[in-house]
Amino acid sequence: MLLETQALTKRYGDFTALDALDMRIDQGEVFGLLGPNGAGKSTALRLILGFLKPTSGSSSIAGHDSWTDGVRARKKIAYLPGELRLYENMTGRQLLDFLSGLRGRPVRTDLQKIATHFDIDIDAPLATMSSGMKRKVALLLVLDPYADLIIMDEPTNTLDPTMREILLDEVRQARKRGQAVFFSSHVMSEVEAVCDRVGVIRKGKLVFSEKMNALRTGRQVKIKLPSDGPVSELDGLNLVWRRERFLHLEYSGSLENLMEWIARVAPEDFSVEPMGLEGIYRKFHGEPQ
Amino acid sequence: MTKTLVFKILRDLRLVLFVTTTLLCLFQVFWAKIMERIIAQLAPFFHGMAGYSGIDISDMEKVVFDGPGKLMRTFIGGDSVDLNNAMDMFSVGYIHPLVQTILCIWAIGRAAGALAGEIDRGTMELLLSQPVGRGAVIVAHLIVDLITIPIICLSLWLGSAIGCTLVAPLTLKDYDNMIQPMKPLQIELGVAGLQFKVRDISVGKSPPKIEAGKGKLELRPMDFGGAMLAVASLLFSITGVTMAISAFGRFRFRVLGISVFLVLIMFLTNVIGQVWEPFSILRPFTIFYYYQPQPLILGKPWMVTFAEWNSGKPLVHVPFLLVLFGLGGFGYLIAGRIFSQRDIPAPI
Repeated sequence: MLLETQALTKRYGDFTALDALDMRIDQGEVFGLLGPNGAGKSTALRLILGFLKPTSGSSSIAGHDSWTDGVRARKKIAYLPGELRLYENMTGRQLLDFLSGLRGRPVRTDLQKIATHFDIDIDAPLATMSSGMKRKVALLLVLDPYADLIIMDEPTNTLDPTMREILLDEVRQARKRGQAVFFSSHVMSEVEAVCDRVGVIRKGKLVFSEKMNALRTGRQVKIKLPSDGPVSELDGLNLVWRRERFLHLEYSGSLENLMEWIARVAPEDFSVEPMGLEGIYRKFHGEPQ
Repeated sequence: MTKTLVFKILRDLRLVLFVTTTLLCLFQVFWAKIMERIIAQLAPFFHGMAGYSGIDISDMEKVVFDGPGKLMRTFIGGDSVDLNNAMDMFSVGYIHPLVQTILCIWAIGRAAGALAGEIDRGTMELLLSQPVGRGAVIVAHLIVDLITIPIICLSLWLGSAIGCTLVAPLTLKDYDNMIQPMKPLQIELGVAGLQFKVRDISVGKSPPKIEAGKGKLELRPMDFGGAMLAVASLLFSITGVTMAISAFGRFRFRVLGISVFLVLIMFLTNVIGQVWEPFSILRPFTIFYYYQPQPLILGKPWMVTFAEWNSGKPLVHVPFLLVLFGLGGFGYLIAGRIFSQRDIPAPI
């Protein structure tokens, strides 16, 4: 177990920013945390990084408590903040040298190669770079092959589509190297694309956590019945909502059984789609962003 | 790790440090030139004027430093400073309000930016996402103080040494052509049968002749080295206090504002306490009460006596350096305690 939180809670007076978060991330796993602004994603990450003192509960990385043994815990982590602020009086290379120095190891040998791949001039002063370029410099830091856990808070913010693809590819490479990746996002497509597991956070509570494989096998079924009467039941089929003759259902099971059930119901119209994240997200947060 | 952080902080400070040390050094050189003019030219001139007018020079000083002039006397170190002694007057360069202002700006600006400034800019998050302990951040700033404060002190001393070299040997300008020591006179005036007698007018002594660079004109640049301890203690105390305030803060300018207000209040309290007796009991609560470079330069005791609390009689002897260094150390301890326990807010 690389990352583990136990009833991790953060309160500000009467306001509960994070409520008893229990989660685990294993080595080589990519975990995506979804939720709208203010749901508690960043609070969770900041507690895990030891920036915030938990009101109760705990978080540990490779057995090191994030708050009481933060230095050892952060040795295992590379972090990309959501609101990126760099030392503007440095060049990209100076920043990388400085942060590598803090970690007590030399700058990665393939730095120039990766910089070229990212299309950035790391010898340019950070003050002259655009926010997207600065984010690329920060990604150079974060995609650290020595870190056991890469934590990214909305990593694709300000990145162009090409760079977004490169980043997602780098995340896959990290997983191949056995690194764990934990990132928060608003963008469901990128979470779907790379995550092994996904969690949905709502008002500070982790309301859903599931493996992506399970989500990929699930189906959303929308049907329009010929009449208002009751419908027969089927194992694995759950009603999400019903408005008169319109039904929205979720199904987990064999497609053959589902087709037989639809034939029995004889709807006026129907659609079957992979469950994906959209349905999950809508379930907890209404329409996706 | 701490070394990397120390080098980074020094790198960030290098320009401000250069400007600060240059200003302080130049001021001391400039001050030496001003003092040369006062001691070697103006003082003999006033002595001559006093002698010519038949006024005792000490009476002249009383008039000049009476009332609002007392404030001026306070700024130059009080009654213990001999206005005709070169070392006494050169030592004023270490308590000059401009020097104290520059020292305070350095100390407050640096410490306010150290913690609250990094949080304000959002770079503290970047720093603490590395395997850097919060205590290590405080220690790094303490090490930076231990490096920069001696550099600032040395710049002051260097300025004094250069200034002394430029003006040495101090030679009194000769105003003998103006001074006509009067011989004892006896004047008898008679008007309308009344007789007035004015006799034994023996004032008008010219100042004693002093050999160039000797006696009260002697300059001993090495003696200014002692003042460096006082300057260091002032810088360290203000840095420590500001660091403690910074550890609580989130916005650099708010910490700057609070610290400047606090230091300004202490400075004014100390000055007013010296010119207005009822206010003097507040002086020991200020940092500036304990900032006394002149005794260190002039070889006087390094003690404060808290006589202000005991009707002018010494109450207890406490080394002023100990108070200031202790206060700075205490400030750092508070900063370490607070900073290691607080939340680091997300940048706005």
